[in-house]
Amino acid sequence: MADVVLSNVHKKFGTFTAVEDLNLDIQQGEFISLLGPSGCGKTTTLRMLAGLEFPTSGEIRIGDRVVNDVPPGDRDIAMVFQSYALYPHMSVGQNIAYPLKKRRVPKTERAGMVAKTAEMLQLTPLLHRKPKELSGGQQQRVALGRALVRDPKVFLLDEPLSNLDAKLRGYMRAELIELHQRLGRTMVYVTHDQLEAMTMSDRIAVMEGGKLQQFAPPQEVYRAPANRFVASFIGTPGMNIVDGSLHEDAGRWTFTAPGFSVDAGQLGPDARPGPAAMGIRPEGLTIGSGPIQGITQLVEQTGHENITVVRLEDGLRMTGRTAPDRLWRTGEPVQLSIDARQAHFFAEGPTGKRLNRDVCTMDAPGSNGTSLKEATS
Amino acid sequence: MLAAVGPPAARRPDPQRYAMAKQQQTVLERQYSRLGLLLIAPTVLVFCAVIAYPLVSAIYLSLFKIFTPTLEGTWVGLDNYRTLLVKGEFWTSLRANLIWTVGTLTLQIIFGVGMALVLHQNIWFRSLARSLILFPYFISTVVAVLVWKWLFNDLYGILNHLMISAGLIDWPIDYLGTMPNAMISVILVGAWKYFPFVVIAVLARLQSIPDQLYEAARIDGAGPIARFFDVTLPQLREVLVVIIMLRAIWDFKEFDLIFLLTGGGPVTSTQTLPLVVYKEAFALNQMGMAAAYAVIMMLIMLVFMILYMRRTQREDT
Repeated sequence: MADVVLSNVHKKFGTFTAVEDLNLDIQQGEFISLLGPSGCGKTTTLRMLAGLEFPTSGEIRIGDRVVNDVPPGDRDIAMVFQSYALYPHMSVGQNIAYPLKKRRVPKTERAGMVAKTAEMLQLTPLLHRKPKELSGGQQQRVALGRALVRDPKVFLLDEPLSNLDAKLRGYMRAELIELHQRLGRTMVYVTHDQLEAMTMSDRIAVMEGGKLQQFAPPQEVYRAPANRFVASFIGTPGMNIVDGSLHEDAGRWTFTAPGFSVDAGQLGPDARPGPAAMGIRPEGLTIGSGPIQGITQLVEQTGHENITVVRLEDGLRMTGRTAPDRLWRTGEPVQLSIDARQAHFFAEGPTGKRLNRDVCTMDAPGSNGTSLKEATS
Repeated sequence: MLAAVGPPAARRPDPQRYAMAKQQQTVLERQYSRLGLLLIAPTVLVFCAVIAYPLVSAIYLSLFKIFTPTLEGTWVGLDNYRTLLVKGEFWTSLRANLIWTVGTLTLQIIFGVGMALVLHQNIWFRSLARSLILFPYFISTVVAVLVWKWLFNDLYGILNHLMISAGLIDWPIDYLGTMPNAMISVILVGAWKYFPFVVIAVLARLQSIPDQLYEAARIDGAGPIARFFDVTLPQLREVLVVIIMLRAIWDFKEFDLIFLLTGGGPVTSTQTLPLVVYKEAFALNQMGMAAAYAVIMMLIMLVFMILYMRRTQREDT
């Protein structure tokens, strides 16, 4: 059963459209990430769910009721803010108890619930401290506690980890996943960090320019990005995207870029001959052998692998992953090959639609996977 | 300055270690210390000239019986204080002083916070209203009081005229010549004159309260009134403490507004301590007694000051 539903939601601030025709069906107990760059509308969407912003048009449902006109406090939601928004004059215990107090939960019952929540988040020894006496990670847990204590139907989290240092962020990510598994509650999580979205979510809603670009499980977003924007936004280092053109010959497609061409095999029904783009993730490149000639431009050593940037003859840059034991020097000539089975093809334009028929995989070659043709130049 | 030697050793009372720490000062540190002394020297000199000297001088004068025009006097020790404390005038003035201070300060805070909350909203002409609200505070006290005296005038005053026209009263009210009207009028004019200070200070604080606190409170189920008491007021607490302490001191020693409006009258009903100081010094030509009143006033305000300093110290720890 769908727990949270947004239907045809629009949000305008004056003449600026923040969210355009958004449709999302979130299942009960799902962990959903709203992912996108700054200004893509993800936070506005979350704030509309919370009741802090009102949609210009469209309908928002939580559970079995339309909540467009329900104030935030009555929506049975809890929210964790990026800045934590703890009440500075209240102790940890009072902060956690506050939502209960406002809902007139009797004092004795309240104390028990606060104690239980504090126990779960290891906050018991800190209950009498003021927020400013806590570290960032502890404040984060108090903010979580304030959300958890009244067991709401939906949790809304607005970039809750972005103020923490990298190590703590990794730890809290694991904690949140565990918490979600334990509580089984619906969680909507806003982030611009694709790693958080990929590791924590059941499904990711990728947004850009106020529009939903793709709403799918992390693996699908990675392996079958709906369009060129999603493809370039997800993945570190990013996907190599090359502009070129598509040609068809008896149902088989070929992608031609300056310097090389790739056999695209069979493509979906939207494919048209003419200008298009090809995307290939760094792991889809083989550096060291192949028909394409280039020069290493930059090598980043991360320890377990090297990220190698190769410049092709006409100035095109391709990024690949290489084993740490083979270190190319800058300026050294290398050969390069592209695994056509892992290539994505996109229609023209920054949000050009993906044209492949299937999900690209390394293990199971798709119908469009064949060998690389000779370099044409 | 010299204590800035560094590690905890310098802070301990152990003289040997202190000496060692002092020796450990590098050439550069010593240079900085000297520079520091040089930089604070002008302030210290000015402080001595305009604050320390008059203070000591006032205390010294209060031990003499002095005829103001000639400034010649005889040593009387603490006699001025003894006379003052058994005189009824001191106690009635102190009482008037406290009524004035508490009354006007309370109204300043209520109007000030209320108006700040209004001006914090997204209302029309907000920036214009924010500038206009400062008007009473910027206007010269003499001008303001003259205007108010005309408004209050029992024969020609517009207040009486309007109230009679509206049928609220049958007979003109004597606002400044009878009690308790005179005290109420003084308190009201004081509140009108000084509430903009409260507005500005509170408004500045209101604007720095993070919106997310209000949003969190809304999600936690707090209505508008609960949000005021659980978010706004606790956030304003510190600035209100500072405002109350400062305004209490300023109102307590207010002279021109009361002197010009009622001159302390009727009889001595609105005669606060600063007015007594003036009367003793220049009407009765008793400079020594005036100094004694001034010293007592200073001691009373010192209580406020100590409370304020204790409070800020507690906040810091």
